[in-house]
Order: sequence, then C-alpha cells, then structure tokens
Amino acid sequence: MKKIMGIALVTAFLSMVSASLMAADKAQLGKEDWERSGVTKNSGKPRTCSTCHGSDLTQAGRHIRTGKRIEPMAVSVNSQRLSDKKKVAKWFKRNCKWTWGRECTDVEKSQFIAYMKQQ
Amino acid sequence: MSNTKEVRVWDPLIRFFHWALLGSFIVTYLSGDEFMALHEWAGYSIAALLVVRLIWGVVGTRYSRFADFVRSPSEIKQYLQDIMSFRARRYLGHNPAGGAMVIALLFSLSLAVLTGMAAYGSTEALGPFAGLFSGLGEEGADVLEELHEIFANAVLFLIGAHVLGVLFASVQHQENLVESMWTGFKKEKV
Repeated sequence: MKKIMGIALVTAFLSMVSASLMAADKAQLGKEDWERSGVTKNSGKPRTCSTCHGSDLTQAGRHIRTGKRIEPMAVSVNSQRLSDKKKVAKWFKRNCKWTWGRECTDVEKSQFIAYMKQQ
Repeated sequence: MSNTKEVRVWDPLIRFFHWALLGSFIVTYLSGDEFMALHEWAGYSIAALLVVRLIWGVVGTRYSRFADFVRSPSEIKQYLQDIMSFRARRYLGHNPAGGAMVIALLFSLSLAVLTGMAAYGSTEALGPFAGLFSGLGEEGADVLEELHEIFANAVLFLIGAHVLGVLFASVQHQENLVESMWTGFKKEKV
C-alpha cells in the first residue's frame, strides 16, 4: 500500500514538474515569436509584436502608427488580459494580420498566451 | 370586374436606394472583422445612401416622403392589431407598420454607421471621427466596438422582421410587394 502511495506521489510530482516545464517551454517559444518580424503587404519597416507592445510585457506599450497607449499585456499586472475570450480572438486576428500579414496558428497563439501568463 | 390599372408608386431613386442599401449592408455585415478595408468602404456607402434617403424623405416624390408614412404610435398599434385580425387596410405607399419599420431601419443603420466610424476613429485614429475619438483609451474603444456590433445585429433582426412583414402584407392583399419595389408599379386597387 505504501509503495503504491509512493509511486502515485512521485508520478504526480513528475507530471507537475513536466507540465510546468512544458509551460515554460511554451512561454519561451512565445517570447521568441514576440520579437519575430513577419512579411506584411504594406512593407515599410518590419513589424514585430514588440514594435507596439514593447519587449517588457509588464510595461505599457505605444502603438507605432496611432501613437496610442496600449495597456500592459502581462496578466500579472493587468488582470483584464485574457479575461474575455471574444476579445482575445478578435485581437489575435487583427494584430497577427497587421504584424505578420497572416493569421497566427493555434500553436502560435497558445505560445503567446503562455508568455503573457508567465510574465 | 376588378380594376387592374397600374400606378407608379416607387420612384427610381427609392428603388435604387432600397436595393443598393441591401447590397451594401450584406457586404458590410459579412466583411466585418474579416476584410476591414472593404468593410470601411461598404460602411461609407451605407452612410451616403442614408444621407440621400433623409433628404429624399423631405423633398422626394409623394410616397417617399416621411410625411406620407410616419404615423403616431397609436395608429401603428391599431394597424398591427388590424393585421392580426386580417382586416388591415391596404395602402398604396407604406402602411403604418411599414412606415414604422422604415424609421426603425434608418435609425438603427444610422447608429451602426456612427458607432462604426467612432470605433474606427478611436482604435485606428482614422476616418471622419479620428479627431474626436482618437484620445479614447482601450476600454472606451472596446465599448464603441461592442455598441457597433449590437446595432449591426439589430439591423439584421429588423431586416428579418421587415421581410416577414412584406410577405405577410403581400399575402393579405394578394399583391407582390417585392416585385413592386423592383418595378415601381402597383395595382391601383386590389
């Protein structure tokens, strides 16, 4: 009985560790994409997420074209972020198109989300 | 013998307005969130059509004028009751319920267009309202977009009700109202 409990505990511990490692991995990939410039039709200067949001997610950003303030993307300092499913979908669609010239894949989106949650 | 004389009811401008508005609405509604450049220009065409319609409602031909079809709430209510009891009077122009629908559609469309331009001005700092709304924060811009969607969906709902009303009146008075909006002619008496 003790043995089974021990195995269960170790398994639970390992799966928690691997889950958090996977999340960290995911967030890392999101962070890399954050600075990646895509091909846009409107050429000009290459755009990345950080062009407008900045490289520090806990800080507010500034839109490169409109000059408007963009509230921080990190969930830790802005609890509004990722709280509205519809809004998240809308802005992924709009901003991926504007920045990379295409919609983001589900994998890319999940990595960005992991990154925003981790910061 | 019944009188089959045809009379001109809807002038060319009204007929063009009606179908152009429908076309513009379909394009605008479907392009929202997907093809924003197209959405914006289709929206502007709705705005232009609305302005023309408002002017035509004052200076236009007989059945196009607001004075011909804008009725009091009590008259509209009475007419709706008449429809339910299958004794609604036939009108050559808009009947009281149809007139109320015209106003409801023009009103909702105007609000959808105005909130759309306000949202565009606040989020993108572009369009006729850029100066007025570009200072708005994220929250305010989101509220404008929500309102814009609500009004657009209200228009869609009203269009459904409008089509039902037209079909119902066509059956009740044994005439093809859709065809009349295309040709401009109606039978003087049915």
